[in-house]
Amino acid sequence: MKAILFLEDGKSFIGESDFSTEDLGEVILNTAVVGYQEMITDPANAGKILVFTYPLIGNYGCAPKFSESGKIWVSGLVMKEKSKIYSNWQAKSSLDDFLKAHKKTAIYNLDTRTLTVHLREKGPLTGIISTLEFDPQKLADKIKKFKQQPIKTWLPEVSVQKIHSLGKTKGKKIAVLDLGATCGLISQLEALGFSLKVFPYNASAKQILAAKPKGLVLSSGPENDCGLEAVAQNIKPLIGKLPIFGAATGCQVLAMAAGAQLLRLKLGHRGANYPIARPGTFKGEITVQNHEYVIDNNSLRKIKEIKVTAYNLNDHTIEEIESKKLKIVAVAYNPVSAGFNQVNSILIKFSKLLSMRR
Amino acid sequence: MPRRKDFKKVLMIGSGPIVIGQACEFDYSGSQACKALKEEGYFTILVNSNPATIMTDPGLADVTYIEPLNVETLTKIIAKEKPDALLPTLGGQTGLNLAFFLMKQGVLKKYGVEAIGASVEAIACAEDRDLFKQAMQEIGVDVPKSGIATSVKEGLKIGLEIGFPLILRPAYCLGGSGGGIAYNQEELETLLSKGLETSPVHQVLVEQSVLGWKEIEFEVMRDCADNVIIITSMENVDPMGVHTGDSVVVAPAQTLTPEEYSNFVNLCKRIIRRIGISGGGANIQFGQNPDNGKIVIIEVNPRLSRSSALASKATGFPIARVATKLAVGLTLPEVMNQITNKTTSFFEPTIDYCVFKICRFTFEKFPQAEKVLNTSMKAVGEAMSIGRNFKEALQKGLRSTEIKRFGFGADGRDKITDLMLKNPDSLLLKQIKDKIRIPNDERFFYLRYALKAGLNIDEIYALSRIDRWFLNNMRELVELEDKIKRYGNESSEGELKVPAELLAQAKADGFSDIQLAFILNTKEAKIRQLRKKSGLKPAYKLVDTCAGEFNAKQPYFYSTQETKDEARPSKNKKVVILGGGPNRIGQGIEFDYCCCHAAYALKEEGIDSIMVNCNPETVSTDYDTSDRLYFEPLTFEDIMNIVEVEKPDGVIVQFGGQTPINLAVSLRQAGVNLLGTSSESIDIAEDRKRFKQMINKLGLLQPNSGTVFTFAEAQKVASEIGYPVLVRPSYVLGGRAMEIVYDQELLERFIKEAAEVSGEHPILIDKFLEDAIEVDVDLIGDGETFVIGGIMEHIEQAGVHSGDAAMSLPTYTLGPEILKKLRDASYRLAKELNIIGLMNVQYAVKDAKVYVLEVNPRASRTIPLVSKVIGVPLANLATKVMLGKKLKDLGFSEEIIPPYVAVKESVFPFNRFPGVDVMLGPEMKSTGEVMGMDTDFASAYIKSQLAAGQKVPKSGNVFISVHDRDKRDIVFIAKKLKDLGFNILASSGTASVLEKNNIKAKVLPKISEGRPNILDLMKDGKIQMVINTPSGRIPRQDEVKIRSQVILYNIPYTTTIFGAQATVNGIEMLAKKDLGVKSLQEYHKMKFKKIK
Ligand SMILES: Nc1ncnc2c1ncn2[C@@H]1O[C@H](COP(=O)(O)OP(=O)(O)O)[C@@H](O)[C@H]1O
Ligand SMILES: Nc1ncnc2c1ncn2[C@@H]1O[C@H](COP(=O)(O)OP(=O)(O)O)[C@@H](O)[C@H]1O
Ligand SMILES: [Mg+2]
Ligand SMILES: [Mg+2]
Repeated sequence: MKAILFLEDGKSFIGESDFSTEDLGEVILNTAVVGYQEMITDPANAGKILVFTYPLIGNYGCAPKFSESGKIWVSGLVMKEKSKIYSNWQAKSSLDDFLKAHKKTAIYNLDTRTLTVHLREKGPLTGIISTLEFDPQKLADKIKKFKQQPIKTWLPEVSVQKIHSLGKTKGKKIAVLDLGATCGLISQLEALGFSLKVFPYNASAKQILAAKPKGLVLSSGPENDCGLEAVAQNIKPLIGKLPIFGAATGCQVLAMAAGAQLLRLKLGHRGANYPIARPGTFKGEITVQNHEYVIDNNSLRKIKEIKVTAYNLNDHTIEEIESKKLKIVAVAYNPVSAGFNQVNSILIKFSKLLSMRR
Repeated sequence: MPRRKDFKKVLMIGSGPIVIGQACEFDYSGSQACKALKEEGYFTILVNSNPATIMTDPGLADVTYIEPLNVETLTKIIAKEKPDALLPTLGGQTGLNLAFFLMKQGVLKKYGVEAIGASVEAIACAEDRDLFKQAMQEIGVDVPKSGIATSVKEGLKIGLEIGFPLILRPAYCLGGSGGGIAYNQEELETLLSKGLETSPVHQVLVEQSVLGWKEIEFEVMRDCADNVIIITSMENVDPMGVHTGDSVVVAPAQTLTPEEYSNFVNLCKRIIRRIGISGGGANIQFGQNPDNGKIVIIEVNPRLSRSSALASKATGFPIARVATKLAVGLTLPEVMNQITNKTTSFFEPTIDYCVFKICRFTFEKFPQAEKVLNTSMKAVGEAMSIGRNFKEALQKGLRSTEIKRFGFGADGRDKITDLMLKNPDSLLLKQIKDKIRIPNDERFFYLRYALKAGLNIDEIYALSRIDRWFLNNMRELVELEDKIKRYGNESSEGELKVPAELLAQAKADGFSDIQLAFILNTKEAKIRQLRKKSGLKPAYKLVDTCAGEFNAKQPYFYSTQETKDEARPSKNKKVVILGGGPNRIGQGIEFDYCCCHAAYALKEEGIDSIMVNCNPETVSTDYDTSDRLYFEPLTFEDIMNIVEVEKPDGVIVQFGGQTPINLAVSLRQAGVNLLGTSSESIDIAEDRKRFKQMINKLGLLQPNSGTVFTFAEAQKVASEIGYPVLVRPSYVLGGRAMEIVYDQELLERFIKEAAEVSGEHPILIDKFLEDAIEVDVDLIGDGETFVIGGIMEHIEQAGVHSGDAAMSLPTYTLGPEILKKLRDASYRLAKELNIIGLMNVQYAVKDAKVYVLEVNPRASRTIPLVSKVIGVPLANLATKVMLGKKLKDLGFSEEIIPPYVAVKESVFPFNRFPGVDVMLGPEMKSTGEVMGMDTDFASAYIKSQLAAGQKVPKSGNVFISVHDRDKRDIVFIAKKLKDLGFNILASSGTASVLEKNNIKAKVLPKISEGRPNILDLMKDGKIQMVINTPSGRIPRQDEVKIRSQVILYNIPYTTTIFGAQATVNGIEMLAKKDLGVKSLQEYHKMKFKKIK
């Protein structure tokens, strides 16, 4: 059936949807060619309308093991062509079936390239996908109402409710503060042989210390969430007490706790091809990123103990920070696994930090 | 790290002539490298034997050598130029191997030259089968199991251990001859004994087959700081078993999960590090089991490759340029991305479209060759297309190949009609199934037939092993076709009823106007009208390396069906240049060279250049050659769409070979302003009847001829002018379907063939001039002044296609009288046709008479060569002339006769087509050319032979067997060979003539009469040269066998008496003196003779 993607600045795109829907949210782009299932199930994308710049989506189907969580978190999916079949030995179902099982639908057959260029030029926009309403005025009103709603925090939804344990019981004990952690992050930590204690987002420093962990991991999750400030205050006492690793939003929380501020980018870094470089060297890495907020360099500079160890080569924003003294490493990018059974090198670095003597 | 300052002079080796597997992609990478080195301030020395390249233009490198690519020549150049460094990774396999030998033989060490980009160790690790296998196992990468067998017994043991099916590759055999696939023990035994027999070293590699697995490629780069990036993945639509160079390929890979993708990336990083590439790129090929994801590595090319050129064009990332910068010590973060101009080269391109590469084959040129695709590459060219989905890219790709198809079938040219497919009989079904089971050049069309005949995806998958995802996309196209068909017209005059929405969908899935016209039973023009009425026109989108994340500065365009057009037509004066499309025999790099020069000339004149082409191998499709590039098929519809968006001041059709020339008349009728020679003149030159009238009017001579449409007419004409006659269709290139016909019976067969090729155009019958000297003349004119660029005398007699013949510039036997006649005729023709731009005339000289064979009102194949020899950029001048400039003002008004000799020699793909006859005729067969230059003809000729890869023997046994009419001439040649110390072996007839002239020759028995015969001797390495001229219209079986065996064992041979003469003179010269080396720049400093 006919569907519309309407943006708050009045621009609209007509496409199709398989069943009726109405979804609102901030419209974001991702330039990665593969990974649709991971992206839509990543709690970090909660509430967003996600546009895939790659035009052919669904080709290799879906399989439970590729989900980053048990749920589809995006509010809407926007794509050029939804594949009619899937073909891969790992696939267990089609993207369609996967979406249906989660009661989601996608809008497709629209000019995602023009949409991309539009968002690049206009900056962040809120949009609505609808199969029910096509009148621009009414759609604009819906967006207005949506934006007027009291700001909601995703944390209670994306985080675990109760403390629970994962991984090897005998391994080094690591606390994970779940701000919307992905399965990918957890399984890499497991692969490192840790015994994991996963805490809800609102755990206090005391509760965490009570478990006697050797280190703390602040997971990725939704950015710019109104609940994050409180999380930062909660963990502040732990800085310097425990080795801490921050991933993506976890990195932002850590920076906030250390006293730094965040800035919003005009167009977020979302894709799998972002170069980071180490200051003073010619060496860098290609990283997967999914963030729209960055640490403000001016405010970070004031914190003497923390050094920037990598920045984004394209716009020179901060991508990795470290403090030897405070035993902190944190990355604004997503520390994803580099292939089957591989662990991202920054996590290996963190695990080495744990065994270092003070 | 900043660029290295410890060296200044860099030597680069090109890839030599265009051959199958090594085409103009290496001109593209080489010229990018030259520019990159210059940009960094290095002094560059270039060696390449191929004169048709952009890279050998005198301005590109500081010193340019057009010399044979072998160790001896390179050693002389190194001794003379004393380079500090050698960049071996941009000249294809030829350049890499040569660099490797220079290293191994200590030449580099001796002269203190450092290899940059890839070390000897790195090259050895990638190229040596054993080292490679070890290295891969060390880092945990699987290779197909294999072993080398020297006996059937051994082979059986290896084979049974590995398990069936098995791939057999005899060692040191060209073109995959003697190899094959064994599915059971019996087949293995047969193949082993056959393979061992064929292999000169009696070795066969027995390898685990991974036929039918997915074939996945990655382009990877690494710098000296150990930064590694993946440029793109590519997935072969034809699975393992079809050479990647022949496969349909899509980028990026379409059917990999993120987990698989990151596994591949991870392996790529391990591999490039282990191989040890520390300043450049590599192409890595994998096989993957589609049922369980298991990965094996097939090979690594530690250099720029055909795939890297494709990856560059597919993503916008200039791999060659960046690789060169990395080779001189820069790192990826230091090299800017020129497409975005905002980011650096340290990133991984991401794309928001689907890229499709499809190959161009020329099986029709080699009728004896088996029409199947396998592990040995056979394609002569390729086209790339871009679409927003696979279906669109597929259809655009198919119509880009210029095989007169306009999409995925349904264009009125299908061999099997819908009607036949409705109720296919079992015979037809079997044919279809065979054609999709055994890979071949028509497989895609047969996949459509299979879908139409009701085979389901699983059946088709089981037969073809083409991934279901691709097959299903094809099915969607067939379904859409059927849907459209419901709106078809009864009569072709009827009103169109197809709903606008459906039309839009058809366009989005890449259907061309021609297809739609066929499906709806109407005319192409009507579809065009309807589209215009409903406002349905393509939008142009960018190739920008970043999927729209950044605003690109130097992007290029592709058409698609979307809401917003991103084309950026400027307000400047602008001209469209139509390129030549995919390389094929008859139309190759020479034309691309001319198109590039047109773009450079436009730039010099301050006019925007707009390039249209679909060949990813070329320099013309490089992002910085023109102001704007449209990566589009070269069809009327696609060109008109661009013209409507850009509204250019003019369009140049003279440079892209026959492709744009064939479109000239229809473009002109559609109101397009063609620059240069008028479409009227083009039509006169191309239409045989009008041409004949002109020749008569000018009082020139032409072989007697007639224009016919039917066999009856042909028969009448032929008996009037007398046999032998030459049958040829008009409007074709490369002498397609042209034959010398000696009697009526053959005439009938050939007329049929010719009619099929030429379509609506007439067929010409010519008196065939036997034993005439052929001459090529290139000329430039501005409507007032006409100047000859060069007169080239062919070495072989007329009847050998001018694209295949060796030729000498200046002429070497023609007297002043004849030359005067040639000049006179050329000027008269140019004046009559009012040539503005370039013109090429082919003449045959017989009995002191000059006959006009053909006039091409466009750039010819020889333009790059002539330009380089006389030191005048003819294509550049021609462009300016088309813009209204005068030759007098441009400083070129006199013909130049150089004080040195250049000989062009052609290079043939016979080794790819086992069993074909190497005889030359009026149908062009060569893929590329080389040039030999020296101060005398004999030296230049021998250099051209060396450059073409012919070994030149200094002693040993020569086998001679010639046709009766050559028997007089052979005496002198044989005598000379004897004097030079060769032994002569001959067939009985030839031997008796030689005996009569007191030349001793050993008589060899006919092949069927006894052994050891000539074949045995060749196989045993006892024959150093073969001189064999064809004995008549139907070659004797013996001869064909001999001639195909010279290819197998790479024995120097010649099939014409003139070739034999020149070769023997060359051998004599070589015995007396050593060949020198001289750069193009040095030649150009010599004093030229000029003729008004
Ligand atoms: N073990 C194998 N089983 C099946 N096909 C193979 C195997 N090895 C190679 N091939 C096929 O042969 C082609 C050429 O092999 P490759 O080693 O890449 O040679 P080249 O140097 O000519 O590129 C490959 O593209 C692939 O399709
Ligand atoms: N009348 C003729 N007598 C002898 N040879 C001829 C004659 N006409 C053509 N040829 C040979 O055939 C070749 C191809 O013919 P041409 O008309 O030039 O075709 P193309 O358009 O393919 O270049 C020529 O190069 C010449 O060697
Ligand atoms: Mg290969
Ligand atoms: Mg010709």
